[in-house]
Amino acid sequence: MKIVLNGKEVAAKEGQTILEVARANGVNIPTLCYVPALDAAAMCRLCTVELTEGRRTKLVTSCNYPLRRDAEIQTDTDALRNGRRLLIELLAPRCPDSVKLQELAAEYGANLKRFPESNQDCVMCGLCARVCERVGGRTLTLSGRGVEIHVDTAFGRPSELCIGCGACAQICPVNKIQVVDEDGFRRVIVRGQEASRIPLNKCTSCGKFFGPVISLSQVMANLGEEKVPPPNQSVCPECSRHNLAIRMAQRHFEQYELAPHETVEEV
Amino acid sequence: MSGTEVICQEIEVDYMLLDRIINDDFGGNREAMIMMMQAIQHNYRFLPEPALKYLSQTIGVPLTKIYEVATFYASFSLEPKGKHIVQVCTGTACHLKGSYRMVEHICERKGMEPGKTSEDMLLTLETVNCVGACAVAPVVVMDEKYYPKADIKTVNEFLDGLNAQ
Repeated sequence: MKIVLNGKEVAAKEGQTILEVARANGVNIPTLCYVPALDAAAMCRLCTVELTEGRRTKLVTSCNYPLRRDAEIQTDTDALRNGRRLLIELLAPRCPDSVKLQELAAEYGANLKRFPESNQDCVMCGLCARVCERVGGRTLTLSGRGVEIHVDTAFGRPSELCIGCGACAQICPVNKIQVVDEDGFRRVIVRGQEASRIPLNKCTSCGKFFGPVISLSQVMANLGEEKVPPPNQSVCPECSRHNLAIRMAQRHFEQYELAPHETVEEV
Repeated sequence: MSGTEVICQEIEVDYMLLDRIINDDFGGNREAMIMMMQAIQHNYRFLPEPALKYLSQTIGVPLTKIYEVATFYASFSLEPKGKHIVQVCTGTACHLKGSYRMVEHICERKGMEPGKTSEDMLLTLETVNCVGACAVAPVVVMDEKYYPKADIKTVNEFLDGLNAQ
């Protein structure tokens, strides 16, 4: 398999995607919806490249196009830059304060005033929904289609399935999902609206709130670790460490009849 | 959150019927999910939330995925539909032949909006994009029966028939 990337022959394994090969060879292709850990969905279309297989040249999304035969790939032609510029011009008004889009706009010379601002705080990459299905409580999804598509919970109501992991907030390329811990509740806020509200555990030792009240056994099962007993949810991790340290110190130093601070002073 | 506002009302869902649809008719296969949803919709005239929850548990597909499918296809409805369904084609040919006048007329007569159900739950008015019979435009589909070259008179006859019942 002979792969020519931007005029240079590169090594590639069969089945690797164009994006993987490009990144392995230091060629930058912009993406918004690509995360290596999740299946590629080709939602943002920014990673479109020109692919010549045989005698035909076509535009393909590089994130989900596996290489199977000899191919010639161009990642930065004028046509592609124009296409990307248009995509950025269309996406940026949806998210006017996104740093990532501003950077891309500067790189591609996009005119951010070309289309009116719609301020929907979302670029429709679907990453939050995909990561929620993969690691979270299967809370978020894309609903509707075409221009009406939007991130939503089932039946548009705050979900009971959310485990408050915050993966959606972490993965959002425009940082428009917030996880807020306040007043003993963890709330996941998607585009200004509450997607879930989970009570937080109160530490029985120090009284501080920590971690959401969720069924950890279900989380362990989702991770394929059914047999591992879920950790203690009544004491916060800090107190847990602290209490263990005290217990160990007591056991250890009673044996030698030494108080912990005395040993420090002697040294 | 935004999106479909589901009317909250108690719906009696027959789980025996759901079991029959899911297991007997389609073998409990998750690949047949859309067909199961169609069967459920056929029975209830919409997709009741408890039925979708039960479907999700039985075939092991996340509820969010089912919701995604239900909102993606225009033929699925999460809101209860009326007893009778009128679909007016607003495709190019039918529109030019004045189908919008029928839509306006029905809306005015029943005091409703396109895509919605009348308050007495008798009638749902849908605008569809093409029913594949442009040669006999404008087309109206009332209770799954096609009326070619329809006009306000055709619609009125149907609506009078409903009122007489």
